[in-house]
Amino acid sequence: MTSMQTPTHTLKWPNPHLDMAAFEAEGELMLLHLGPQHPSTHGVFRIDLYLDGEVIVKAVPFAGYLHRGVEKLMERLTYVQQTPIVDKHDYVAPMTSEQALNVAFEKLLGVEVPRRARWLRSLFAELQRIASHLLALGTLSIDLGGALGGGSTLFIHCFRERELIMDLFEEVTGARFHYNTHTIGGNRHDVTPEWAAHVRSAMKTILARLPEYDSMSIDNSIFIERTRGVGVLDGRLALELGVTGPNLRACGVDHDLRRDAPFHAYDEVPVNVIVEQGGDSLARVLVRVREVRESIRLVEVLLEGLPEGPICSYRPIKLVGQVKIASGQAYAAIETPRGELGTFVIAGGGEGNASPYRLKFRPPSLHSLSALPYLLPGATLSDAVTILGSLDPIMGEVDR
Amino acid sequence: MAIDGKISLPVVGPGDERERTYEHPLYKQLLSVPGLSLGVTSLDALLTWGLRNSLWVFPMATSCCGIELMAAAASRVDLDRMGTIVRATPRQADVMVVAGTITVKMAPRVKKLWDQMPEPKWAIAMGSCAISGDFYRDLYPVVPGIDTFLPVDVYIPGCPPNPEALMHGLLRLQEKVRLQRLGQFATPEPRPALLASTKPSIPRLNDPEREAETNEQQTADAMKTADSAVERPEATGSSAASEALSPAPALEGTTPPASWLESLFAAHGALAFPKDAPPLISADRHVALARALQERGYKQLVYIAASHWLAGRGRAGADASETEHFEVAFALRTVGRASQLASWSVRLEPGQSLPTLTEVFAGADWQEREQWDLLGVKFSGHPDLRRIMMPDDWEGHPLRKDYAADTHRAPWR
Repeated sequence: MTSMQTPTHTLKWPNPHLDMAAFEAEGELMLLHLGPQHPSTHGVFRIDLYLDGEVIVKAVPFAGYLHRGVEKLMERLTYVQQTPIVDKHDYVAPMTSEQALNVAFEKLLGVEVPRRARWLRSLFAELQRIASHLLALGTLSIDLGGALGGGSTLFIHCFRERELIMDLFEEVTGARFHYNTHTIGGNRHDVTPEWAAHVRSAMKTILARLPEYDSMSIDNSIFIERTRGVGVLDGRLALELGVTGPNLRACGVDHDLRRDAPFHAYDEVPVNVIVEQGGDSLARVLVRVREVRESIRLVEVLLEGLPEGPICSYRPIKLVGQVKIASGQAYAAIETPRGELGTFVIAGGGEGNASPYRLKFRPPSLHSLSALPYLLPGATLSDAVTILGSLDPIMGEVDR
Repeated sequence: MAIDGKISLPVVGPGDERERTYEHPLYKQLLSVPGLSLGVTSLDALLTWGLRNSLWVFPMATSCCGIELMAAAASRVDLDRMGTIVRATPRQADVMVVAGTITVKMAPRVKKLWDQMPEPKWAIAMGSCAISGDFYRDLYPVVPGIDTFLPVDVYIPGCPPNPEALMHGLLRLQEKVRLQRLGQFATPEPRPALLASTKPSIPRLNDPEREAETNEQQTADAMKTADSAVERPEATGSSAASEALSPAPALEGTTPPASWLESLFAAHGALAFPKDAPPLISADRHVALARALQERGYKQLVYIAASHWLAGRGRAGADASETEHFEVAFALRTVGRASQLASWSVRLEPGQSLPTLTEVFAGADWQEREQWDLLGVKFSGHPDLRRIMMPDDWEGHPLRKDYAADTHRAPWR
């Protein structure tokens, strides 16, 4: 333990590494462990809260309770074997996890993806964004608890609509999640016109039911009271921390990789970037709620213009060691429901260069959670779960 | 059992299950009274009926299976109709459903929560990670199956199991509870009528007419046409060669996009600008470089990724002149339209430490902690350089090349 001997912290931001010994001398502080097993930590995550009465003085987050050593595993597996593994990272949005990995490999190999496959990837990503934002809203409502009709009413509603999207993916890939549908150079499963009809009917259902959600969340005065002004994140601090996605756009920063560094089909399909100015928990929820509507619009546009053609440009994979890359480094990123999910690959590992030498993920949730030591001090204990829930972290990709 | 990662958990063997069967202390005494057995056994049957139809679940949900557990409790499958309610506290629960990977850091907590549950209690291992560790089984932080430290009653295979599979597992557990009270331990299949009740209450979008075969055929056809249409040579691995063959995808590049950027790198010690890797910056000037880039609009921290290179390995593959070293890659991004990425690397000798970036980018705090934890790269001046992923008393840095992936940690292995 080499902590807290060298106070090099500048005065740019409040110091998250306060020395508690000075406070403890007054004998007023209470140390409370929130997690690692707690229903509102969204998985296994622990925060040590130093409380003065009900107000948080210092928050020390502890990650790693789900650290599964995936980056080490990737050095042992070949490029072909890795797609089903990354499904388990962001298990609320496995489609985008797969895409982030394969985009990096394609960049390293110089493989171009056929147009239909790029449109399909965008289509899957938008459907996944709707499912993920619905789950984020549902779990946040449970965190907020009793005042919202037991909290679980909105949760039950959100899962009802999320199941529709699970059905759509199951129809294409055969799995509810952990799809393993992306591969180097394209996709493995094509879609049918009947599937497109199913998507349209599902989108219609969801769009018709969205006002129900609004009335239970962003139009509900109790919900607004619990979230407005809670956990205000400064936009400049968010950029320094590397916070991305809806959490960054809620701070008034107009940044979305779908528009700013287009991947898949987003150079052909313009995206309306949703920005909110508040920076608080309510703004983060508002961004997600509005993004669901934007994603429904994008799904309809993408379905309408889905081009014909092949869905994979790379040779069919027959052997696990088929893809070999001798050297080179590449980083490629896409915009997932939680922000910029990137993969940094150094090629040239394993037997016959069939594995990466080093593979590092850039998980958006880890960067979001690193804002907690700045957001929590000054908030009350009941606000802590609101702030954590509104950041929408997924521990699978935080700890990997 | 200590909470600080010290391992003193008993390993459960066969035969423990029989001892674990719960019995009230007064039960045998009451039965010994002549004539009372008729009432006691009827009462017992009634209590067992109540017990088995109100199995409250404590969700030990760590990862993906937890989402399916939530889906099972939510609207479509609706666990509540079997009397199964999800309780977030172990003291109100009968069944612990371990859903997800259990790591060495988490296992003592799981055991502690199990010990907090009142008898009678049961455990369900949901998903292949909880059953055996799945493909993480051989990796250093993962417990290969929770039955190494918990007595498991029902295993539900799948990755993840469907909500219906979870429901099936709970029905099997109900059957087991019933038979346990009768003194039997075999678990036959539950009655067909019960199995039929696992059908979701809301029908699926496309239940009867599923055409997976045609879908697969179409995919195969498309692959065939793709293969004949685009003749690609064997992927030789030389990325320069592949770049010549096809234009680079329209993503942000790791090569510097602008010449002023190259000159900025050169001013901070970069000697060469390889096409397929970030330029190498001298270690003492990289904080100044980050600050300069931040002032020029590269305001977002993207990643910090260290890598360990053994002797004889260099950027271009095998290279006998290379000694053991580390490379730490950094990347920053501009915000807004036409976002650009700037990335650079720093080469470090073993034992050499790198000045921290935390004063320029607050987010470097956790990133540098992660690289210290997993690779042992020291960052001088870091305010809080602790382990972030592994337990505090862990030995070694797992992502180093000389660290075996399946380094053992008794008694779980």
